[in-house]
Amino acid sequence: MRMLIVEDDRDLNRQLSEALEDAGYVVDKAYDGEEGHFLGDTEPYDAVILDLGLPQMDGLSVLERWRRDGHSMPVLILTARDRWSDKVAGIDAGADDYVAKPFHMEEVLARVRALVRRAAGLASNEISIGDIVLDTKAGKVTKNGMSVKLTSHEFRLLSYLMHHKGRVISRTELVEHLYDQDFDRDSNTIEVFVGRLRKKFGSSLIETVRGLGYRLQEENA
Amino acid sequence: MPDKNSSDTNDLQGLLSWNPIRFIRKKQQASLAWRLIFVAGLWALVSLVVAGAILVALFREAGEKALDERLEVHMTAIVSALAAEGDQQNPALRRIGDPRFNMPLSGWYWTVQRGGKVLFESESLFGDTLRLQNMKGELELKQNVTGPAGRDLRLLQKRIQFGGLQPVTIAVAGSTRELGESTASFAWQAAITLGVLGLGLVAAIFLQVRFGLRPLTELQESLGRVRQGKEEEVQEDLPKELKPLAVELNALIHSNREVVEHSRTQVGNLAHALKTPLSVITNEARSSDEPLALKVSEQADLMRGQVQHYLEKARMAAQRRVIGVSCEAAPVVSRMARAMEKIHRDKEPEITVDMDETLLFRGEQQDLEEILGNLLDNACKWCDKKVSVTLKNNNSSASLIALIVEDDGPGLGAEEKKRALRRGQRLDETVPGTGLGLSIIVDIAGIYGGSFELGDSELGGLKATVILPSLTI
Repeated sequence: MRMLIVEDDRDLNRQLSEALEDAGYVVDKAYDGEEGHFLGDTEPYDAVILDLGLPQMDGLSVLERWRRDGHSMPVLILTARDRWSDKVAGIDAGADDYVAKPFHMEEVLARVRALVRRAAGLASNEISIGDIVLDTKAGKVTKNGMSVKLTSHEFRLLSYLMHHKGRVISRTELVEHLYDQDFDRDSNTIEVFVGRLRKKFGSSLIETVRGLGYRLQEENA
Repeated sequence: MPDKNSSDTNDLQGLLSWNPIRFIRKKQQASLAWRLIFVAGLWALVSLVVAGAILVALFREAGEKALDERLEVHMTAIVSALAAEGDQQNPALRRIGDPRFNMPLSGWYWTVQRGGKVLFESESLFGDTLRLQNMKGELELKQNVTGPAGRDLRLLQKRIQFGGLQPVTIAVAGSTRELGESTASFAWQAAITLGVLGLGLVAAIFLQVRFGLRPLTELQESLGRVRQGKEEEVQEDLPKELKPLAVELNALIHSNREVVEHSRTQVGNLAHALKTPLSVITNEARSSDEPLALKVSEQADLMRGQVQHYLEKARMAAQRRVIGVSCEAAPVVSRMARAMEKIHRDKEPEITVDMDETLLFRGEQQDLEEILGNLLDNACKWCDKKVSVTLKNNNSSASLIALIVEDDGPGLGAEEKKRALRRGQRLDETVPGTGLGLSIIVDIAGIYGGSFELGDSELGGLKATVILPSLTI
């Protein structure tokens, strides 16, 4: 899952990205409205954390532009102006949720999880395929009730596939959503991690659709 | 300590003895128009009364003068007759002009006496005598006296000496009844005429004052409309004496708005400036278990509470002075309900809205949003499924709006309801929030002179009712 954080305060931006990375997300960072708008306009993100008080272009304008251009990724706004008129202005501009500053990181993480989950059309924090259960809140995977150890890359890949189970996902999409913008897109890391996941959960879990990409097979798991 | 007894006594005295000066002072304070009417009316009344009195006096004086002249004519006739005929039987005296001298007790008499003895007298005396006045050495005397049959008479009395004879005293008297009657009649007519004139004057003064002060009334009404939020500024189309006042008032209203706008922006900026570093400190501290980190975390939480509290206070203070604003309530309700459906979409609460679309809230839209946002957010957090919003005219007064938000959640006990309205109270720490929401509503409703209460809903949960001022057009 790839996230964009647009926050001009460098410390807060760093804290947010560290917390999100710890939770298994890939994070891109922007420090002003224009940079944030450009990234959101050109890169596919699974969710965006957007501060409203930004230099160059304010958060509301960034959000309005994205929505006007048809970008529908879930957006969580951070605002120090916590009157309801400010919150509702954000919601009306197309935000999916808001967190008022000052906040505790746990709250932001919970909201982001909920946004991603909702965007995937899921009702709970736990996604399961057969006997494999992925707990997005705890960041853990179990098979038959037994915990399975995964590296962060493996977890991200499995999590993305499980959020979009049943759908064919291209290699490009996986690269775009699992790595930040500096990643070398020609490397064959995806294949390597698909192979590792097949080893841990059985070869039938991830189906290769030739020429198109990968699909998580619910019935075969 | 004020002396209550003495003030009671004063009131009682005031009731018993009506004090005109105090009454006038009171009225003068009450109305500029009354002052003008009172002073002009008093002046008109005094001048008319004085004019009336002078006119009557002049009329009476003229009447007396005419009577005196007439008596003088008769006196001259008597003197000439006496000079011609002497003391003997005197036929000329019988022929003296006025027939009233021959009619018994007609009020017109003459007499000629020498040494207290009557030589001649008019037949009208009819056996009575016309008493002479003491002349104190004077040769002529004019006086009002009481004559035969008790009638008021004007008396002309002269002492004349013919040849070497002893002097005779001649008196001619005429009734003043006609003079009195005609003076009274004149006074009556003058009173009626002047009275009508006076009424006319008062009416004219009244109209003049009303007409003259109309721009003031218009200014007052215009200011009233601004206060109620019906108009943005005071109308400046006024006479040149009042126009500067209206212009100044508008400048004041604008600067007031600017000050409020400015302080709001400043408060917002301050909020932003403080809250971001607070977030950083809090999160940095929470990522460590060191004692210092725990202390910082604890203190940062305190700071967060204080910042929130004082920002809210600053906002309230800024709002207190805003005049002349209003907003349509229904669109705000719809907008907030829509936003809540999005915010609480996991729960999918059924928000039903029942509202009078014509209602106007007499105040800032932001404040209505703040109230509704907090009420709806609470209702959505705690409801089972249903939330209802009602916006209507308050039963007791058409100038008030009742905003009712209900839910089908667990509701609150009596003690919990009381606690919920206190600042910073969070009844359940597991549901996110600052605990400021409900006390903010109490504060905002208070600023607008409204009220906020919690009750039990028919839906089964909490029923929050906020009463706010409305604008009726």
